[in-house]
Amino acid sequence: MSEAGDGGQLLASLERLRTELDGLRLPLDLPDAGRGRAGAAAVRDQLDDYLLPRLRQIDAPLLAVVGGSTGAGKSTLVNSLLRERVTRAGALRPTTRSPVLAHHPDDAPWFTGDRVLPALARSTGGDEPGGPAGATSPAASGLRLVSSPAVPAGLALIDAPDVDSVVDANRALAAQLLAAADLWVFVTTAARYADAVPWDLLAGAARRGASVAVVLDRVPAGAGDDAVLREVRADLAGMLSRGGLGAAPLFTVVEADGGDVDGLLPEAAVAPLRSWLDGLAGDARRRSLVVRRTLTGALDSLPERLAPVAGAASAQASASGLLHDDVVAAFATGREELETELTDGTLLRGEVLARWQEFVGTGELFRSLDAAVGRLRDRVGALVRGRPAPGAEPVGAAVRSGVADLVRARCAGALDRTRDRWASRPAGAQVLALAGPALELPDGFDERVARLVRDWQRGVLDLVRAEGEGRRTRARVLSFGVNALGVALMVVVFASTAFIPTGAEVGVGLGAAAVGQRLLEAVFGDAAVRALAARARADLLRRVDELVDVPRRRLDEVLDAAGVDDAAADRLAAALADVAAARRADA
Amino acid sequence: MSPFGRRAATASGPAGGLVDGRALVERVGALRAAVDAGGGRLETDAVAAAEPVLRRAEERLGLGTGRTVVALAGATGSGKSSLFNALAGLPLAQTGARRPTTASPTACVWGPEPAEELLDWLEVPRRHRSDRESALDAGDQVDLHGLVLLDLPDHDSTTLAHRLEVDRLVRLVDLLVWVVDPQKYADDALHARYLRRLAGHDDVVLLVLNQVDRLAPADADATQEDLRRLLAEDGLARADVLTTSARTGAGVAALRGRLADAVAARALALRRTEADLEDVRASLARGVAADVVPVPAAEDLPGADQLVGALAGAAGVPAVVDAVEGDHRRRAARRTGWPPLRWTARLRREPLRRLGLEGRRASGDGEAPELVVSSVPAPTPSQRAAVELAGRRVGAGCSQGLPPRWAAAVREAAAPPGPEVADALDRAVVGVELPRTSPRWWAVAGAAQVVLAVAAVVGLVWLAGLGVAAWLQLPDAAVPAVGPAREDGTRVLPLPTALAVGGLVLGALLAAVSRRVAAAGARRERRRAAERLEAAVRTVAADAVLGPVARVLAEHEHVRSSLAPPATTPRRDAPRRTARRRAGAAASAAGDERRGH
Repeated sequence: MSEAGDGGQLLASLERLRTELDGLRLPLDLPDAGRGRAGAAAVRDQLDDYLLPRLRQIDAPLLAVVGGSTGAGKSTLVNSLLRERVTRAGALRPTTRSPVLAHHPDDAPWFTGDRVLPALARSTGGDEPGGPAGATSPAASGLRLVSSPAVPAGLALIDAPDVDSVVDANRALAAQLLAAADLWVFVTTAARYADAVPWDLLAGAARRGASVAVVLDRVPAGAGDDAVLREVRADLAGMLSRGGLGAAPLFTVVEADGGDVDGLLPEAAVAPLRSWLDGLAGDARRRSLVVRRTLTGALDSLPERLAPVAGAASAQASASGLLHDDVVAAFATGREELETELTDGTLLRGEVLARWQEFVGTGELFRSLDAAVGRLRDRVGALVRGRPAPGAEPVGAAVRSGVADLVRARCAGALDRTRDRWASRPAGAQVLALAGPALELPDGFDERVARLVRDWQRGVLDLVRAEGEGRRTRARVLSFGVNALGVALMVVVFASTAFIPTGAEVGVGLGAAAVGQRLLEAVFGDAAVRALAARARADLLRRVDELVDVPRRRLDEVLDAAGVDDAAADRLAAALADVAAARRADA
Repeated sequence: MSPFGRRAATASGPAGGLVDGRALVERVGALRAAVDAGGGRLETDAVAAAEPVLRRAEERLGLGTGRTVVALAGATGSGKSSLFNALAGLPLAQTGARRPTTASPTACVWGPEPAEELLDWLEVPRRHRSDRESALDAGDQVDLHGLVLLDLPDHDSTTLAHRLEVDRLVRLVDLLVWVVDPQKYADDALHARYLRRLAGHDDVVLLVLNQVDRLAPADADATQEDLRRLLAEDGLARADVLTTSARTGAGVAALRGRLADAVAARALALRRTEADLEDVRASLARGVAADVVPVPAAEDLPGADQLVGALAGAAGVPAVVDAVEGDHRRRAARRTGWPPLRWTARLRREPLRRLGLEGRRASGDGEAPELVVSSVPAPTPSQRAAVELAGRRVGAGCSQGLPPRWAAAVREAAAPPGPEVADALDRAVVGVELPRTSPRWWAVAGAAQVVLAVAAVVGLVWLAGLGVAAWLQLPDAAVPAVGPAREDGTRVLPLPTALAVGGLVLGALLAAVSRRVAAAGARRERRRAAERLEAAVRTVAADAVLGPVARVLAEHEHVRSSLAPPATTPRRDAPRRTARRRAGAAASAAGDERRGH
């Protein structure tokens, strides 16, 4: 047939689509993620089970799946068609758990390999294990092959599990088998024909334009039931035509009243269905028509069925983007606060200010200027007062603890904000659980903060020392002491963006900074001090940025590890567009 | 009496004893209170679901339990209407082959008491109500007096309106008789949509396997057993399973007997309500911790000490205690220092005065501490951050083991707005009575210093006088001497020298000793001040953070304990085995009965 030849492009595009679906991950528990995952798995299964094999071999035997509600008599019907007990029928629901594929002996090569339904392991002969099944019973993953001359060549019958019993695995398997069918033989009963669940599936089949035949099974036989039968049949036919399945052939199978032979229905009861199937199998043109109809319907339905998948994929991408944005925003706010507070003079309060004033105001600064006298006086003072005079070191220590507290608190605040924002997101709970300790400050963060400030202070002293290398300034720097000038520079940095004093404390702080500024200007000159302060400030902010990045990167890693693929939706759409293009080229 | 009768009697009076209406009304009130107390901290879904159930429970209890509402529910084509007619003995409900047959509920009422109010509540259309109490029936319907039997529409057909009607009535009736048939008994639509949601309602759910005439006897038993297994998976292990055939009439009498017992016990309305309330309780209880979460006193909360430390830092407590110590030292120096140098102490500002803490007390006026704002340095950003951090730690520590919403409430309570805390801290520090003692030895030492100084001055002046006399070559005056006597009877040390040197040396010595002693006193005073300030800060911490957190914890514990499972009804586990055995006996009895037909 021609399709097999120039279907190569279509086949390739479908294989690409399959690869995309197989690689698709929807890791975030968004409201539509479950639907997206199920939809992706269903389409992938249909590609494996039906579309790819059918396109590769368009003239393979027709696969008719006998499906319907539990207790509708599917197994009995299959057995009766074959005049042989190939599948177990029984009173306990659901009876059939692993599907049976019956084929003509000549058709065996088509089905023994994994050409169709590759995920189901093949077995031959033997009866399926019986026993009660609960909702959570494991899926019966096998496909039992039965070779029987009673099956017309060119057609294979699958006895599918029910579509509506409590066994979840059954329903999933039935849906998979129906998606793989060229022809769906829908079995219902007089008691069931108005049930909602199978009708949902039928409506889906009608939408896709799949080939369907309907069997009204278990029609009570006997006097007085003819009127009932006519009424039910007419009602069902009406429902079918309203549901867009008016063209589907409708067969009636009368329930044998205890007159079964070996649990089989009388031959006459299934004769019309049997001869219809025989005719279909024998007529290559009709068969091809059925196959083409279902194939076209399945291909047509791909965009519609993949729409929720693509939607779920892009929802994942945007949700992941929002989560990333939350982190960025939370840390940007923290970083901003930090930069402001480090440079607008607010640090020059409390401890730092007190130590600075102690250092400057009590004369320690100027005492340390005249080192020899100062040291002697210090010693005398220490003798008299019982404690040593404060030097530059207490200011340094105050600066260290002040900056460290600030950095730690702003990082913790950013993490808290991230936690709060995430908690309000749809996938929040899951991401919070994933993040776990990444939402706390990392171990050893305090030490890293302390090291940061120490390194910066060392850097500031180096700056001062380097600036003092000039021949003229050197002596002055030495006379003041590098430490004192370094501390002064730090104080200047902390007030470097404070232009408008807003309160008494800030005023005091700025006064302190002004003292430092004047001192530095006296040593280095106006311009040099500005450059020094800018460099020291840039150095501090750079170090702070590096440190703030540590907890932020951990959160980014958590989000990346969740495995959301931002481009998945686009690739899926591209693959679908390829399929559409290939079909247009085929047509 | 049929085996079902015995079973029914035990079902309506199980291990926990008979529930009574008043107790249930109380339980409704308790659950409402728990919902009110828990507020937004319970799971939204559970809270939203609780209110309709509570209202239904009240309404049903209000309608009295004299009537028992029994509904025949089931899939389309299972034979609900046929069974309804068989029980009523009259063709009241429409039956047919066309699916679905029944569109709106039909009611049949046994007994003379009016049931209009109940049927209005159930919203059964008036034209679908019948009374089964006529003179024609004589006394043979007396056993069902008090029964209101409903025939419900199907729940599984393509007609959505039917399903919605079933959903509504399933919540209202006292006893649900699910009619299933051999084809449909394992339908997911029945088990997932209805039976699993009725888990725990074993006493008010009855399964009837109808159309049993279509099965061989062996298949019938196996099917019944299979249905029982599915029920156990649904969480209805103790629910009864009967078999009937509306067509042949088999089992209908047994079902009727079962209903008669249920009506006679008059307890099903209560049982149903009790089971509903238990559902509400269980789903609400998922919003609280499963186990007791300890509610420590506010000051014993985890992280409380660090919080107090951080608040103390922010309140400037270290600066204040430093000032207290310095103040003590300075005052001591002024009183006991070496007189020639005492004035230097005045040159420095009083540390307490500088902090705005001294003037108020020294002036002793009645100004309320609330109006005084200290000049203790405002907390720095890093101190505020430290407070936030400590508060966050308290929140994190106290939210351990709590469900997310409660944990969020705890964290929120642990993070109060900064300015208020700062204000409260300032007031607390200003309100503290700082220790300011002037020990009595200061006066003694001070007087001694004066004496010594005078002695030194006298000695020096004397010496100076002697020096001047010597310079003027005046004759030596006899200078008195002190100290050990020499061999010639004269003393070693001239008195003026002794006065001058002794006064100076002893004064310096005394000053040094005084300073040491005063330093010890200052440290003592510092400790006392620290204790008082810390106590004040503790109060602020308790008011601003620890108290609110402890309150959330206490509320949680209150809600949790009021949602704890009732201890008196060990119904889920213990009776199951015996119920199972009884059910087995009932099943075999049913089999006997069916074969008898």
